[in-house]
Amino acid sequence: MFGKLDWSAVPFSQPIPLITSVVILLAMLGVLVLATVKGWWPYLWREWITSVDHKRIGVMYGLLGTLMLIRGFADAIMMRTHQAMAVGGGEGYLPPEHYNQIFTAHGTIMILFGAMPLVLAFMNYLVPLQLGVRDVAFPTFNSVGFWLTASGALLVNVSLFVGEFARTGWLPYPPLSENAYSPGVGVDYYLWAVQISGIGTLITGINIVTTVLKMRCPGMSYLRMPIFCWTALASCLLIVAAFPILTATLAMLTLDRYLDWHYFTNTAGGNPMMFVNLVWAWGHPEVYILVLPAFGIFSEIFPTFSGKPLFGYRSMVAATLFICVVSMLVWLHHFFTMGAGAAVNTFFGISSSIIAVGTGVKIYNWIFTMYGGRVRFEVPMLWSMGFIFTFIIGGLTGVLLAIPPADFLTHNSMFLVAHFHNVIVGAVVFAVFAGLEFWFPKVFGFRLHAGWGKAAFWLAFTGFWVTFTPLYVLGLQGMTRRLQHVNVPDWAPGLYVSVVGVAILALGVAAQIIQLVVSIRHRDTLRDVTGDPWDGRSLEWATASPPPFFNFAVMPDVEGEEAYWDIKRRALESQQLGPEPDYAPIEMPLNSPVGIYTAFFTFVFGFSMVWHIWWVAVAALVAAFAGFVVFAWRDAHEHEVPAEEVARLDRARREARTALLARLPREESAS
Amino acid sequence: MSTLEDQPLRRAGDMDDREDHAPGDAPEESAGHWVTNTHLGLGFSVVLTVAAFVLARGGLVWAPAIPVALIVLAIAQMGVHLVFFLHVTTGPDNTNNVLALAFGVMVVFLIVVGSLWIMGHLNHNMMPMDELMRMQR
Repeated sequence: MFGKLDWSAVPFSQPIPLITSVVILLAMLGVLVLATVKGWWPYLWREWITSVDHKRIGVMYGLLGTLMLIRGFADAIMMRTHQAMAVGGGEGYLPPEHYNQIFTAHGTIMILFGAMPLVLAFMNYLVPLQLGVRDVAFPTFNSVGFWLTASGALLVNVSLFVGEFARTGWLPYPPLSENAYSPGVGVDYYLWAVQISGIGTLITGINIVTTVLKMRCPGMSYLRMPIFCWTALASCLLIVAAFPILTATLAMLTLDRYLDWHYFTNTAGGNPMMFVNLVWAWGHPEVYILVLPAFGIFSEIFPTFSGKPLFGYRSMVAATLFICVVSMLVWLHHFFTMGAGAAVNTFFGISSSIIAVGTGVKIYNWIFTMYGGRVRFEVPMLWSMGFIFTFIIGGLTGVLLAIPPADFLTHNSMFLVAHFHNVIVGAVVFAVFAGLEFWFPKVFGFRLHAGWGKAAFWLAFTGFWVTFTPLYVLGLQGMTRRLQHVNVPDWAPGLYVSVVGVAILALGVAAQIIQLVVSIRHRDTLRDVTGDPWDGRSLEWATASPPPFFNFAVMPDVEGEEAYWDIKRRALESQQLGPEPDYAPIEMPLNSPVGIYTAFFTFVFGFSMVWHIWWVAVAALVAAFAGFVVFAWRDAHEHEVPAEEVARLDRARREARTALLARLPREESAS
Repeated sequence: MSTLEDQPLRRAGDMDDREDHAPGDAPEESAGHWVTNTHLGLGFSVVLTVAAFVLARGGLVWAPAIPVALIVLAIAQMGVHLVFFLHVTTGPDNTNNVLALAFGVMVVFLIVVGSLWIMGHLNHNMMPMDELMRMQR
């Protein structure tokens, strides 16, 4: 009746997962009760859960990513403290089977459920605004994509409470991940969670590519798009190209595990090396899927806070597309040591070094953007400059690892761990925080408190280096990764220093949370009434903060590279806004519950597949498909916003702008 | 990246036939043309499929040439699908589709050829486990 599921799946005998899950369940229950008591459900249902507005979906992606980032950070704290206690004679506090689940969950959650949703949050929110359009190409599809990602994340976290997670590392290499060596449900949780969220990611990728290629506002030619849109396009092209490889590879592993096939087994003609090859053919583009939008975020921040246009716009576009293509050509550098031999290793070593050229072009462009500009050291700029420093070090160790003979010494060592944290934290996480500070006033209508933001930056920056510098050294001394017990007492000091770094990072996280609380409490003094708090240059700053649900009352007309900067210069020179436009009714897509409906049943499907409850799985799949059929046969899909409503909302924005215009010259002469 | 690159739509709603259209804005295709087109495609793909089965049974062509013939038929089948079902044409309103196709072909080429090359070397240097075991017996 219930497949493999029974009460032994709940970890009653293990205090750590049990207490954690009880606390999480209580917190979730508390939120649900609070929402019910306060009567928030109709609002949440109408404005968020069924919303197809790209801005709302972007914010929900951000919330999901932030929650998962905290979960992943909790795993990181456990790993670092455990290793520091399990060195030499110490035993630590995590048994091997639990420790293995933690490092697997840390990698899976941080990359696929933390960083990916955060990056998608920025793409969803910003791309339509920067292109001057009212929504993405397929708004309801977008909602489906988000909810599928969320149900994948839920599945990973359910494994904490019911059953176990994979113990294989974040990419489940066979033969370890085959039935013979991982008989439990851990790998199955991994497979279904990643498959479901992978489909969600693919949907968003298709959506953003279509939006950028086909939905730009009048005058927004390709070479006038903000760099963030270019990087979003390149990143989503990689999603469309690479995620199917992951889906197919994991599907083959699923067939091995469920139907006893032999794609990757040791016996009967299977070849585990093929899994490693295929999974990295996805895995390396994935790195650039994450990092390209991060580069885009920095490319928006540097010009704004330097008061200058971006240096070398066209070379930036070229470098982005160069990275997009070459990132499909470097995957073997993740397994130089598997034994492909000199010819193959040399090719991929060279291509891995070459891809650094594209990144180098970008670094110089950012530096030259600052050069000669009037740089304002606001919080987003601090993160961006911290990124340049951190990322250059990470990039240099990457070039070192790209040399096959050197890689043979450092492969799977803590040096490698330090390297990829150096690039992913240094670029993606720093970009997320920089972007959060930068666009927060646009999204919510008030700035974040600058003092706490600076504290958060300096704590995170210091904490990062104190954590990972010792790991570089330990790696060069020969310490391998994923050690449940460290039997070389000499490595203890490095591990202790690393724990201190984690503590500083935790203070940074606390500062970030305090910043949010303080800013919400003082939101009236931090209010952004103009819609352009940073003296911005691209179109998202032309609307109000927060933007009306239709983004733009009339489509902007773009005449140059920096669309909004031109409009602003013109208004400042003539001391007046352009003439009031003719407002026309706007058609906007209707809300739809199909996203959460489908995702709910997909979650039920994934869960019952993990536990081999076949009848529920079939029923859930049919139910999820029925949602699509009902949606496909809908009668109405758009509603009309009357011209008066558009005019009313836009006149308020114009009034604020006119007031700003009257104030600006005085401020400029005063400074 | 059509020829209109530097002067795209001048005003919202001002659609140019030669430019790519946003989803939902594509001009209506006449139903008759659509039906003819789809039926033609169906006919071609059925013929190609049947031909593949007939050839595979042997006797009709020189036996060692059968794999090559099947590959040719498979590629022709892809062409039929692209033209008749996915409506990829060479017209200027199809630039994005053609570019997307080219990108897709390039990625598939890199992954397939790269994997064959890598796996060939790996299998040579790191013999698969079962062969190794057989040799040890």
